[in-house]
Amino acid sequence: MAYEAQYYPGATSVAENRRKHMSGNVEKLREVSDDDLTLVLGHRAPGSDYPSTHPPLAEMGEPECSVREMVEPTPGAKAGDRVRYVQFVDSMYNAPSTPYFRSYAAAINYRGVDPGTLSGRQVVEARERDMEEIAKFQLETEMTCPALASLRGATVHGHSLRLPEDGIMFDMLDRCRLENGVVIMHKDQVGRAIDKKVDFGKAMSEDEAAKRTTIYRVDNVAFRDDAEVIEWVHTVFEKRTAYGFKPE
Amino acid sequence: MVDSASNTENLIQIEIFPRRLLSPETAQELLVELSKIEGITRAFVQGPRLPVTVPYGPATGQDVNHKFSDTISIGETDINLAVIVGRIRLEVLNSEIRDNIREICERILPMGLEFREGLFLQNKQTVSDYAKRGPGADPTVLGLADPKGKVGNRICTLNPAE
Repeated sequence: MAYEAQYYPGATSVAENRRKHMSGNVEKLREVSDDDLTLVLGHRAPGSDYPSTHPPLAEMGEPECSVREMVEPTPGAKAGDRVRYVQFVDSMYNAPSTPYFRSYAAAINYRGVDPGTLSGRQVVEARERDMEEIAKFQLETEMTCPALASLRGATVHGHSLRLPEDGIMFDMLDRCRLENGVVIMHKDQVGRAIDKKVDFGKAMSEDEAAKRTTIYRVDNVAFRDDAEVIEWVHTVFEKRTAYGFKPE
Repeated sequence: MVDSASNTENLIQIEIFPRRLLSPETAQELLVELSKIEGITRAFVQGPRLPVTVPYGPATGQDVNHKFSDTISIGETDINLAVIVGRIRLEVLNSEIRDNIREICERILPMGLEFREGLFLQNKQTVSDYAKRGPGADPTVLGLADPKGKVGNRICTLNPAE
């Protein structure tokens, strides 16, 4: 019998969404072109070559090493790309993803990544083309709602604030705007103006966001409603307490 | 440190806390309606700050031109919004005015709001106030602006003749 990975306990929609994010089995909702992605990330000019930090591995003449022979380098490492980052901020008002689940998604489904999980933001560092692949995956799928999550390299403030009237998460640098019913980004992730308005499509409705979220909230699906999750959280806490208890 | 603010003994302080952060248009509509009510002695508008230029990161110094940064007009007074309006605190003369304000808020803010009564504006000078303004400071402006703030005077007087 083939082993099937199990990711998260629980029978509620939130638990199911958490499993989806962790397994990478998420629905694709929108298209973001490579040039648009490069533009909003702001690390290099769209269409330009990837700057490199070392020659391609094939030209470098690597030392003999069994681990190097066993592990296939990622495309970015193979080409010698620079390490660059992408950083997401997710609103507490039923954003589809959260920093922890973005990190799980990156660490479980991709190689050569360094996810950083913080309370209000989540950053992934990786070789540039690997990082772009992850950023594109997260932006195009149900892991992101353009109104409730956004790309923010600097000045991330806003995830825990009430939403403004237009429903687009508050951003001090005003990178995203609602125009003609769609969310556009007219600055890159650190707040520099870009030449083009990048269209991220329609925002999720309140009902859809509540359905797709990975956040337990008392006004949607409460954490305490999920008996299996509670049981597992108790088990984990009990085990680690027992493990840490060392009477001298 | 003995000067109390305006005679606060019989005054009521209220806080209007909308479910959403207000756009400049809604904020103007609400503030204009509130300004028409007689009997509000002090008002305090609070929310997340909207910077004029990018404060840090690679884009430091570039203009932000925030969509919520706007000038709103209340009567003949123009106020340049430096924040997105998140809550409004008022000091009013009596409970009748309070009920009147609640009615206006429920009409103008369809997204819903929390409306509370309590102590929201300071009544006594702090050490910082005293150091900045001295012993003879006007008690009515107490608590309306940060005495250590670097953004200049953010206090507007709507009816200077009074």
